[in-house]
Amino acid sequence: MPIVELQHVRKAYDTKVAVEDLSLRIEPGTMFGLLGPNGSGKTSSIRMMIGITVPDSGTVSLFDKPFTRDSLKRVGYLPEERGLYKKMKVMDQLIFLGQLHGLDPAVAGRRALQWCERLQITDAIERKTEELSKGMQQKIQFIAALLHEPDLIIMDEPFSGLDPVNAALMQDTLIDLRNQGKAVLFSTHRMDQVEKMCDHIALIHNSRLVLSGAMREVKSRYPANRVVVHFTGDSGFLRHPSIAEAKPYAGMAEIILSDPAQAQALLAHAVGNGTHITRFEVMEPTLEEIFIQTVGGKIDV
Amino acid sequence: MYNAWLIAKREYLERVRTKAFLLATILIPLLMGGLGFGSGYLASRTKSTARITVLSSDPVFSQDLKHELETGEDSEMKVDLTTNSPELRKQLDKELKRGSSHLAGYLQVVPPTSPAERPRFIYKPRSASDISTNSALRKGIKTVLTRERLAGQGMAATDIANLMAPVELDTSDSGDTTLAFYAAYLLFFLMYMVIMLYGMNTARSIIEEKTSRVFEVLLSTIKADEMLAGKILGVGAVGLTQIGIWMIAATLIGTYFSASIPGAVAGHSVISPLQVCFFVAYFVFGFLLYSSIAAALGAMTNSEQELQQLNLFLVLPLAFSMLMLFSIIKNPDSTMSRIVSLIPFCSPLLMNFRVSIGNPQPWELALSFILMGLTIVAILWVASRIYRVGILMYGKKPNLPEILRWLRYS
Repeated sequence: MPIVELQHVRKAYDTKVAVEDLSLRIEPGTMFGLLGPNGSGKTSSIRMMIGITVPDSGTVSLFDKPFTRDSLKRVGYLPEERGLYKKMKVMDQLIFLGQLHGLDPAVAGRRALQWCERLQITDAIERKTEELSKGMQQKIQFIAALLHEPDLIIMDEPFSGLDPVNAALMQDTLIDLRNQGKAVLFSTHRMDQVEKMCDHIALIHNSRLVLSGAMREVKSRYPANRVVVHFTGDSGFLRHPSIAEAKPYAGMAEIILSDPAQAQALLAHAVGNGTHITRFEVMEPTLEEIFIQTVGGKIDV
Repeated sequence: MYNAWLIAKREYLERVRTKAFLLATILIPLLMGGLGFGSGYLASRTKSTARITVLSSDPVFSQDLKHELETGEDSEMKVDLTTNSPELRKQLDKELKRGSSHLAGYLQVVPPTSPAERPRFIYKPRSASDISTNSALRKGIKTVLTRERLAGQGMAATDIANLMAPVELDTSDSGDTTLAFYAAYLLFFLMYMVIMLYGMNTARSIIEEKTSRVFEVLLSTIKADEMLAGKILGVGAVGLTQIGIWMIAATLIGTYFSASIPGAVAGHSVISPLQVCFFVAYFVFGFLLYSSIAAALGAMTNSEQELQQLNLFLVLPLAFSMLMLFSIIKNPDSTMSRIVSLIPFCSPLLMNFRVSIGNPQPWELALSFILMGLTIVAILWVASRIYRVGILMYGKKPNLPEILRWLRYS
């Protein structure tokens, strides 16, 4: 049973097509990464999933049923920009947002407290939102999206503006939720996070879906022709005929092979040349490289 | 509807708890009252206290005029008397040009050529805008001339004094009408202030949610229409609370302390319960009308600065009502007054004012509410469509064709 299913969805604003012929499925217990450069249509796609806008054509289904506003009670949404009342106290705010999702104020308050403890922001509870740091506001927003224990969690750029410690805290929380069987969709243009966390990815570029599938499957489509080599001594081996492209740095090099089968030959050649090799690793291309290759290098990461 | 109620409750509590609400509740009536009563009182009671010189060759007339101008009904001037001569006039002209002098002007009395004619009066003021001295002079001279003529026809001085004595009008039966008028005037400005204030608050609150992107979280659970309804209800309830406090205070003061208000008559409330009821009713309708416009304006703009530019749409109808106020004061039940007070945008101010000072027919009152109701429905229809699309639009302010297209979207 897919949690989210988009079929041939199209959305155009006055002059600009934001999303064109987008189809995707998200299964329960999946961490789904929605990738794409700025302005590629990620936010527009997300907005249609949660009924803020309606597609011009195509269908949106949530929880295996055509879209109704009732299903939204089971969705938690974190918008790209922080959406909190500046002058409201954190606890009041969380209870209010919980009530909007159909929670009883007492239940909302109890859960809010638990979440604040879990995300280590209990000292912020009695303060006004405007007095908090950006990272703290982000956590509050994060809690607001999860308070009603949604089955589908949609987060637009959840890690932007967070320091590494807090970003890791949030990532762990999301992975926990995924392990509990919830579907998590998040958009980002940070490839390293996607590579670590996601089971499934979809890449949108210029309003269209250009790449999608399970992470392992997507990566296996690309040959393991990357080599990272750390060495001391002569760098002459970098002129070996099997090398299509080499980026030499101090004491190391990143190499792209013209033929993945030539890796062993390259290593033998380097050792034979008298170069001292401390590390030699053959790798699949990173998601970032796949990304750049797919969208043609025109991307701001 | 539960969602709209939640939004309204939040809006209400967040606003009522602020210091700004407390300050506005205390300061607005004080300010309005001070301004209204103060300026009205000054305009009606101020006597001219200018110092002038009268140049006349008729000592009896000039003595009489001096007495009238110094102690008469409308003036407390200082008057110096001299004979009329070109040298003196030149000297006075010089004095008028001197900044340090207190002389406000001088009056020449040119004797008539024949006894049947009146003398000519030439007044040379320091400032052409000193209207109150001009009119006090005109009144004084007229009184003195009348008195002289009556004496000339053989009437006794005591009879003349009796005849010319000011008339006292006893209105103690219905309370002091002047005071009632000021109270109505105060209510008018109060209404103007609250409609303006709370209309703007609605727009501001929408812009706040728009710039902080809160509505995006809200929209992921509730509908735009529910948000709009909750917003208007919440802000309106704050307004009603404030007005409720004022009205209760006014009624208490009017009932228990009326004896200590100058000019009031014990036992007569300055503001009647009927006026209070109509004030509340007209506020509710006026607020709904103007806040729906404000909601559309708020949804169209991205910042308070942009809102300022569109403010005109709120202020214009209110300013028009203000203009019309003067013709209604003159004749509250004329055809003109009836028509303008039925215009839905003006009814909250003008019909409510007529309730205080005129005698609007019950059907006029009913019609004004029906017309306002219909207008509110129409404006809300348009505003909710603009709102639905507008809150998702950032950046450029939309132009008119774009807004028309928004109406068709939804």
